[in-house]
Amino acid sequence: MSVIVMKDISKEYRIGQIRLNALKNINLEIINGEFISIMGPSGSGKSTLLNVIGCLDKSSSGTYFLDGNSVETMNDNQLSEIRNRFIGFVFQSFNLLGELNALRNVEIPLIYRGIRGKIRREMSEQALEKVGLKERMKHLPSQLSGGQQQRVAIARALVGNPSVILADEPTGALDSTTGNNIMDLFTQLNEDLNMTIVQVTHEESIAAYGKRIIRLIDGEINKIDFNGVLEGKK
Amino acid sequence: MENNKGLKSFLIRMLFNSKMASSGLISNVLRTSLTVLGITIGVASVVSLMGIGEGARIAVVEQFESLGQNVIVLKANSGVYSFQADEYKEIMERVDAIKSATPVTNSKEYVRWRRTRGDIEVLGVNSQYPEIKDHQLQAGNFFTTLHVDTRSPVCVLGYNVAVSLLNGRSPVGYTITIDDLNFTIVGVLKKKGDGKAENIDNKIVVPYTTAMRLNDIRTVDEIWGKALDEKDTSLAIVQLSRIYSRKIQGTPVNTTNPDDGGEMPPEEMKIPDMPMPEPPLETPPNDIFTSGEDVITITSLNQLVDEANDANRIMTLLLGGIAAVSLLVGGLGIMNIMLVAVSERTGEIGVRRALGAKKTDLLFQFMLEAFYVSIIGCILGVFVGIWLINIFKSNGFAAVISIEAVRIATVVALTSGLLFGVYPAYMASNLSPVEALRRQ
Ligand SMILES: Nc1ncnc2c1ncn2[C@@H]1O[C@H](COP(=O)(O)OP(=O)(O)OP(=O)(O)O)[C@@H](O)[C@H]1O
Ligand SMILES: [Mg+2]
Repeated sequence: MSVIVMKDISKEYRIGQIRLNALKNINLEIINGEFISIMGPSGSGKSTLLNVIGCLDKSSSGTYFLDGNSVETMNDNQLSEIRNRFIGFVFQSFNLLGELNALRNVEIPLIYRGIRGKIRREMSEQALEKVGLKERMKHLPSQLSGGQQQRVAIARALVGNPSVILADEPTGALDSTTGNNIMDLFTQLNEDLNMTIVQVTHEESIAAYGKRIIRLIDGEINKIDFNGVLEGKK
Repeated sequence: MENNKGLKSFLIRMLFNSKMASSGLISNVLRTSLTVLGITIGVASVVSLMGIGEGARIAVVEQFESLGQNVIVLKANSGVYSFQADEYKEIMERVDAIKSATPVTNSKEYVRWRRTRGDIEVLGVNSQYPEIKDHQLQAGNFFTTLHVDTRSPVCVLGYNVAVSLLNGRSPVGYTITIDDLNFTIVGVLKKKGDGKAENIDNKIVVPYTTAMRLNDIRTVDEIWGKALDEKDTSLAIVQLSRIYSRKIQGTPVNTTNPDDGGEMPPEEMKIPDMPMPEPPLETPPNDIFTSGEDVITITSLNQLVDEANDANRIMTLLLGGIAAVSLLVGGLGIMNIMLVAVSERTGEIGVRRALGAKKTDLLFQFMLEAFYVSIIGCILGVFVGIWLINIFKSNGFAAVISIEAVRIATVVALTSGLLFGVYPAYMASNLSPVEALRRQ
C-alpha cells in the first residue's frame, strides 16, 4: 500500500524577478514500511521535498496523495490535522519544548488530537519505552544529552502512530556514534514496527541505513539506489 | 488510536494552550513583571486619581448640604433694594411652599468676655433659624419669638465660641458683652465642623431685631426661607421670582430656578391680568453673591449642590481620563513584549504547527498571555490604588475608593490587554509553519 504518491510535484520560489525551481517534476511513490534516505548537495531541494511531504509547505503544481488524502485541496486547519495524524517529525536540532519534561513533550501530538490525560500518558510512556528512555521521562530536555533528546523527539514522532516519520538530518547535530545509535533505532522501528521512515541526510554512511536512497540534484531526482537488501546493517 | 472530537478535545487543547501561555510568562519573570508594572501603574493611577476627584466631590457636596437642605436665599443688592424687616412674613404668606423664613443680618462686633476681647461675626436671625438651617442645640435653648419681638439682649453661641469661653463648660446663663451691651447667653449650637454651614461654629447668633438696633439699620439684605422638599423649593423659587419681578417692575431678578418655570404655581394661575415679566433666565443662575445688575438673587442651595456635583464629576472623569492614558501606555507595553515573545518563540511556533497545532491554538495562547499580564496588572493596580487612597486619607485628603473608578480601570486595562494582544497573537498564528521552522 502506498503511503505517499507524488506526481509531477514542482516547487517554485519567487524572489523579486528571479524564479527558482526548488523542485522540478518530482514523481515519487513510497510504500508502507519503507525506509528511505534522501541525499543531495546543499540547496538541491531535500528539505523542500520533505516539507512538501510533511504538509508544512504546499507544492506549486502536481498532485500529492498522503495515505489516500489529496493534500492540495486542504485548508490550513485540515493540514494541521493531517500533520498531527499522519506525520511524525524529527528535526536536526531536536526541537523539544524546554519547559516541558520528556513525557509532556511526547504527549504534545496527542494533546492536539484531543486525547484524554490518562490514555495520553500510557501511550507516551510506551513510546518512550520504545526509544529506551522510559526511566528518564521526568527529565527536562536540558537534563538530557543530545542523543537522548533526539530519542525523546523520535518518541514524540511515533507516539501518535503516524503513517510516516519524516526526519530532516536527524543526526546532523550528533557525533557519529550517537548518530549511528539513532540510525539503529530507526532501523529497529522500521523492522519491528513496520514504521515508514523518510530521512534527509548528506552523509553516505547515514544514508546507507535506508533501503532506498533518492539522490536529488537541482530539484530533480537524479538517481535511486536500492541497497537495503544487498548491504547488511552494521 | 483514539480521537475525541468536540468540546472535550477542545478543552484539552485549550488547557494546554493556557499552560503554555503561563509558562511563557514564567520563563522570563523580569520582563513579565515590568510589563505587569506598566498596567499596575495605569490602573493604580486611575483608581487613586478618580478616588481623589470623587472625594473632593463628596466633600463639596457635604459642605453645601451643611448649609441646609431646601434652603432658599434671597439676597438684595443693597444699593438698589433692601428688604423690610418683616418682609419675610409676607413671603411666608404669599408663597405656600415656604414653611419658615428669617431675615438675616451679618456684622462684625466688638465682643468682650472677662479679660479677653476681639471681633466676632454676629448673625441676626429670628427664632425659626435653627429649623431653617437644621441646627441642634448643644446646651440651653434657642431664643424665642418673644425675645425677637422685644429686642432682647440674648445670644446663642457657635460651638467654638462657646468652648473657648469656659474651657468647655457650658456658658449658658453667663453674660457676654457685645458692642458694649450685655447679652445673656441662652444656648450653644452643636458643632457643624470647620468651614461648614457658613462657619457658624465661630459666630454668635442674636435676634435680628436686636442686631438691627445694634447697627442702627432698618432694612436687611438677606432673607432665608425653607421649603419642605426639593420640589417645593423649585416651586417657591418660581413664585418668588414672579413676586419680586412685579415688585421691582422691570428691574432684573436673578433666580436659580431648576425647573425653568415649567411648573406654574396654582395660585398664580388664578391671576389673569398678571404681567409676565419673565425672569431673565439667560443670566448664569448659579451665583448667590451676584453683584452688579441683579437687584435680587434668589438661590436654592439644592441647585448649587447639583451644579457643584456635576462640575466635580466632570473633574473626576477628566482625572480618570488622564490616568487612562497611562493605561494605554501600559497596553502598548504589553504589545511590545508580546511581539518580542512571538519573535523569540518563532521556532517553537513552527514545531507546534508541525505537531498539529492549529492557528486558533496559537492565537488563543498568545492572546491569553497578554490577557494574563493585563489581569495581573489590573488586580495589583487596584490594590495599589486603594493603598494610595488610604495614604491620601491618612494625610487629610478627601479621597474615597470609588467603585466606578475600579470598574473603569478594570474594563480599560482588560480591553487594552486584549486589543494590544490581538496583533502579536495574529502574527504568531499566521506564521507559515515552514517559515517559522526555518527562522528558529
Ligand atoms: N523560502 C524560500 N524562499 C526562497 N528560496 C528558498 C526558500 N526555501 C528554500 N529556498 C531555496 O530552495 C532551494 C532548495 O532549498 P532546500 O532548503 O530544500 O535545500 P537543501 O537540499 O535542504 O539544502 P541543505 O542541505 O543545505 O539543507 C535552495 O536554493 C534554497 O535557496
Ligand atoms: Mg535542508
